Amino acid sequence: MTESIYALKGIRHCYGDLVALSIDDFAVAPGSIIGLVGPNGSGKSTLLRMLSFLEKPSQGEILFSGSSEESSTRSARLHVTLLDQEPYLLKRSVMENVAYGLKVRGMRQGYAIRVKEALSWVGLAPEEFARRQWYELSGGEAQRVALACRLVLHPRVLLLDEPTSSVDATSAALIKEASLRARQEWGTTLVIASHDWPWLHEVCDEVFHLFRGSIIGSGMGNVLFGPWTIRADGLAEKHLADGTAILVSAAPNEKSMAVIDPRSVSVHKAPAATEGRANTLAGTISALALQKHSGRVLVTATVDSIHFHAELSSTEVRARGVFPGEQAWVCFRPEDVRWI
Amino acid sequence: MNYILEGLVKAFQLLLRGDPETYSAIRVTVQVSTYSMLASLCLGLPLGFLLGYGTFPLKKMVRTLVDTLLSLPTVLIGLIVYAFVSYRGPLGEYGLLFTLPAIAIGQTILALPVVVALAATAVESLDQRLHTTLLTLGANPRQFLLSNLWEARFGLLAAGVAAYGRVLTEVGISMMVGGNIKWHTRTITTAVALETGKGQFGMGIALGLVLMAIALTVNLSLFFLRKRTRH
Repeated sequence: MTESIYALKGIRHCYGDLVALSIDDFAVAPGSIIGLVGPNGSGKSTLLRMLSFLEKPSQGEILFSGSSEESSTRSARLHVTLLDQEPYLLKRSVMENVAYGLKVRGMRQGYAIRVKEALSWVGLAPEEFARRQWYELSGGEAQRVALACRLVLHPRVLLLDEPTSSVDATSAALIKEASLRARQEWGTTLVIASHDWPWLHEVCDEVFHLFRGSIIGSGMGNVLFGPWTIRADGLAEKHLADGTAILVSAAPNEKSMAVIDPRSVSVHKAPAATEGRANTLAGTISALALQKHSGRVLVTATVDSIHFHAELSSTEVRARGVFPGEQAWVCFRPEDVRWI
Repeated sequence: MNYILEGLVKAFQLLLRGDPETYSAIRVTVQVSTYSMLASLCLGLPLGFLLGYGTFPLKKMVRTLVDTLLSLPTVLIGLIVYAFVSYRGPLGEYGLLFTLPAIAIGQTILALPVVVALAATAVESLDQRLHTTLLTLGANPRQFLLSNLWEARFGLLAAGVAAYGRVLTEVGISMMVGGNIKWHTRTITTAVALETGKGQFGMGIALGLVLMAIALTVNLSLFFLRKRTRH
C-alpha cells in the first residue's frame, strides 16, 4: 500500500473561541489531485495553511510522508508550496521573483533555464517578461508569475487556494493547464480549493466538502444552505427570489445544511412530469464537465444563484438538449436530501 | 544689508578657494556623522525589525518609549554623554571627552530612535502576504529577516536619510562633548554658531550653504524614495 503524503489525525484549530478546523482523519495519496469545496469561511484556506506548514494546529498531528511535521517543519516546507488567491510578488523583477525559491535553496547556478521554463509554462514569454518589474504586470500576469515562482521549485505538493477566482479567463486556463502539467511531469500532488466545481470534478481524483471547519463528505454533491422555513406538514422550504421555493424533507433546524446526490437530480429542457411534491425549478445551464473517472457528464444548472449538479450520460445530454446558456428545469424529490 | 551681501561673497570665496578651516569643519562633520550613522543603522535596523514584526510583552510600551525618544533634546543627550565620558564619569578612563568618538556616541543616541521607529513603521507597513510568500517559497529564518528588510528597503532608506538629517544639523551634542576644537572637533554647526557670534558672517554663511546643499540632497533623496515606494 502506498504511504500517504499527508495524514491528518485529530486536527483541531481554533482562533480564540472559534473552531476553524476540526478533522479527525484525512489522508492524501501522493500524486493525487484533491479538490476542496465549501462556502467562504468553511475552513478551506485554514486547511491549506496547515498542509503548507504555515500554521500549526492547536491540537492533533500532521504527518508528511509518514513523519511528524513537528520535527521537520522547514524541511517539509521545502517540498510543499502554497499559491494564495491573491499572491504577493516581491518588489523585484519577474526573473528575481521566480528565482527566489531556488536561491534560498542554494541553487545559484543555472537557475535561469528553470526560470524560463516556469515562465513558459504559465504562458509568459521569458524574453518579454523576465526583466519586468513587479509593478509592470496586470493582475492575471502577476498571478501567473506567482504560480511560476512555485512551479520552478518542482514541488512535491502544490496547494492552490482559489487560484483562478480573480483572474481573466485566459490566465485561468493557463493556470489550470500549468498546474496539471506539474502533476503530469513530476507527479506533484495537487490540493485545490476552488468554487469552480466543473473544473474540480473534471480533474480531481476526489473532492472533499468542507463546512464549518469539518469535512462533511467527499465526491460530488449538491449543497443547500438554509435558512429553512419549517412547514406545518413537517417539510421545510427555502424561498427563492422569484417567489418559488425549494422543498426538502424535514430539516433538523433552520440553519441545517442539506446534500443531494447529483444522481438524484435530473435536468430537462422542459418541465418534466413529476410525482407528488417533487421540486421543479427553473434555471439556466451554466456548465458541462466530463467527469474524470466515470466518463459521465456533470451538468451544472444555476437556479437563483444556487448551483445544482446533475450527472447524465453524454447520450442523455444530447437527447435532452441541455447545453450552457439554455434554460432548463431542475427536478429532485424532497426526500432525496441528506442532512448534515 | 550690506554685511549680509558681503558675507555671501566671502562665503563663495572661502568655498571656491578651498579655505582649510572651512573644509576642516566639513570633513569633521562628514566623518563623525558617518560613524554615528553606521552605528545607529547597525543597531537600529534589527531593533526596528523586531519592534515592527515581533510580538513580545510590553511591545506597546517600548513603541511609545521609542516614539518619545524621537524628540529627545540634543543638549540633554550632550549632558548625558558628557556625564559618562568626562574624567569623573564611568567611561572617563577612555579619554573620550572632546573627541570625535564622543560626538559619534551622542549622535548615535540621537539617531537611534529615529532609525528604530521609522524602520519599525516600514516593517509594520509591509504586506502580510509577504510573510506567507517567503515561508512558502522556503526561506529560513535568516533569509526571512533579510528578505523582509530588502522588501522594506525604500522605507528603511527613508529612515536612514531622516536620521542623517537629524545628525547632520545638531549643535548641542557636538558643542558639549566635542568642545568645538578648531581642526579637531569643530563641526559645521558648531562653526556656524561660533563664527556668527564673532561676526564672521562669511564663514558662517559658507558653512550654512553647505548644510543647505546637504539638506537639499537629503530631501531630494526622500522625494525619489517616496516616489519608488508608491508602487
